[in-house]
Amino acid sequence: MSSPALEEFLARLYTDEAALAEFLRMPSKTARTAGLNDVEVSSLVGADHIGLVMAAASFRAKRERRKSRRRLLPWRMR
Amino acid sequence: MAGAAAVEHRDRFGLGWRPELAAAILAHLDRIDLIEVIADDYFDAPRRDLRALRTLAAQVSMVLHGVSLGLASTVSVAPGRLDRVARLLEATGAESWSEHLAFVRGGGIEIGHLAAPPRSEASIEGACRNLDRAARIVGCAPLVENIATLVAPPASQLDEAEWIERIVCGAGVGLLLDLHNLYANAVNFGDDPHTFLRRLPLERVTAVHLSGGRWIDGPYGARRLLDDHLHDVPPEVFALLRELGRLAPQPLTVIIERDGRFPPIARLLEQLDIARAALAAGREAAA
Repeated sequence: MSSPALEEFLARLYTDEAALAEFLRMPSKTARTAGLNDVEVSSLVGADHIGLVMAAASFRAKRERRKSRRRLLPWRMR
Repeated sequence: MAGAAAVEHRDRFGLGWRPELAAAILAHLDRIDLIEVIADDYFDAPRRDLRALRTLAAQVSMVLHGVSLGLASTVSVAPGRLDRVARLLEATGAESWSEHLAFVRGGGIEIGHLAAPPRSEASIEGACRNLDRAARIVGCAPLVENIATLVAPPASQLDEAEWIERIVCGAGVGLLLDLHNLYANAVNFGDDPHTFLRRLPLERVTAVHLSGGRWIDGPYGARRLLDDHLHDVPPEVFALLRELGRLAPQPLTVIIERDGRFPPIARLLEQLDIARAALAAGREAAA
């Protein structure tokens, strides 16, 4: 199980705080609305939601860190 | 591939090349066997910078490390991204390249970091397909690296060791084994790191990453180990390197990655010495 649609859904959860919050409130409905199949929906409902929150926060911090690093480095080193 | 014939058959120890460490690395090449350059930092570099890298590669063995291909995906990697790797390898004369078993985007959304895909038959097939394409376009296959993850990848059907083995053996590629990633995933998800290590296809390991991290807090009192490359390599990871040396007799290239909170170079060189000693101890234990 894994599909472009599932990867897109996960990418959205990792980058969009509102989308993640909505998923955590209504995991089944949110996943189904995204067009995922029954097996994918079921596995997302039972997924590691604490880990999703922690991973999303970590990705957000790393994106921010990269942005500030790019501002600090000379342009040739970006 | 340029420089491939010159690869020496012994264990080697090096550092990730970072602008902040460049001067110190150059001043200590007598204690550093090779450097690992982040490929993505140079995809758009002017010719002058590429010439500088090539000059550097003539002084010290160099390998390239990619972070943005997203090989472990059900979506094919765009040929243009692989063309850039091929051009950079050619321009620098680096001896090899590596990438992660991760997905980094989906449906046009860039995650901006390495994410663990569902460990499934589909992602195995996707990764093998992408690795085949990468080898054809770049001219040689990358070593593939296991990643750290704070989340048990949703919709997974296989555990990490089996998933990695299926990809590495299915695609016929080498494994760049990140021992801190292995350690972090093991402690975060209740596995024994040494058991995890022994379940991997160790005969495929040709390179090793070492780094450090820190414990972070999550919801409901959760604590997980984050691989942040901002801390020293912990003793538990050196112990894994020793065990790897005992179990894997082939020559290994060991690289310490440090991305920030840079200590004095003496500290990094000391960590390299500890790595040398750990691997040697494993070799001796196997003899």
